[in-house]
Amino acid sequence: MNNQSDQPLEDIRVIRKLMEESSRFLSLSGLSGIVAGVAGIAGAIIAHLIITGNSPHTDWYLRPLAGGEAGTAPAAKLFAAMAVVLVVAFSGAVILSSRKAKRSGIKAWTPVTRRMLISLLIPLAAGGLFVLFTVRTVPANVTAASTLIFYGVAMMSAGKFTFGEIHWLGVLEVVTGLACLLLPQWTIIIWAAGFGVIHICYGLFMHLRYRG
Amino acid sequence: MKQILANFNKAFESRVRLGIMSVLAVNQGMDFTGLKETLAVTDGNLASHLRALEEAGYVRMEKSFINRKPNTSYSITEEGMESFSSHLKALEELIRNQ
Repeated sequence: MNNQSDQPLEDIRVIRKLMEESSRFLSLSGLSGIVAGVAGIAGAIIAHLIITGNSPHTDWYLRPLAGGEAGTAPAAKLFAAMAVVLVVAFSGAVILSSRKAKRSGIKAWTPVTRRMLISLLIPLAAGGLFVLFTVRTVPANVTAASTLIFYGVAMMSAGKFTFGEIHWLGVLEVVTGLACLLLPQWTIIIWAAGFGVIHICYGLFMHLRYRG
Repeated sequence: MKQILANFNKAFESRVRLGIMSVLAVNQGMDFTGLKETLAVTDGNLASHLRALEEAGYVRMEKSFINRKPNTSYSITEEGMESFSSHLKALEELIRNQ
């Protein structure tokens, strides 16, 4: 760093860059939204197959996913499938974002990255525990809704430390979660829209807007 | 012109100091390592500039323990925020009058 600040224009440039880079995680890749969306749609299809293959009821969405006549087998399979979806989406985000950081010459692992991850993981962990504790007692559409709502809140909370668009992605996820409660017969479709279509649209938008 | 130079703060002449103020202006607080990583400067360089800003009353230092390890966190003072924003205004004026 230069110790002589005789060029005010260069000073302003440095100030802006530091303010932006130190308060926001700008390496988040738009493409990772598309990866997450594709994983989300695949997850919804797998979930639909597991549920319809195990439940004798056409109104399965009004019954708990675990316990009851269906037993816990479908829920265990569902959890395994959703864990795979989560791992694929998360690793996609990590790999593509570190690639984007490397290409644009900024560090990916910074204090603001850690802050963003903490504000993301707290609501997400709360949501995971909520689902775990209620999956035997609440109807399937409520379980689906709670995954969308907690995920949306996590995005809104992480949005403070990255692109502002993430906040609005979170708002949309919360809205789709609420839709699952109002239209239980559409649970799978709405869930696929929330985790699939919205992510893909968001990813395309961010990729075109920020080129990465 | 005289007016502009009056607001042009001597304490921010160094770009490292300007960097510290920029980072602390938009973050509620940051530890020494975080500042070092963000600004890409050496320990000694950062420490001496932080001390100067602390003595000027622009930066506040807080020592605490996280998992029994000492942690030094820095944040901007109200006075620091005021001087930094008037310094920014002076920079803008300077550019406009060039």
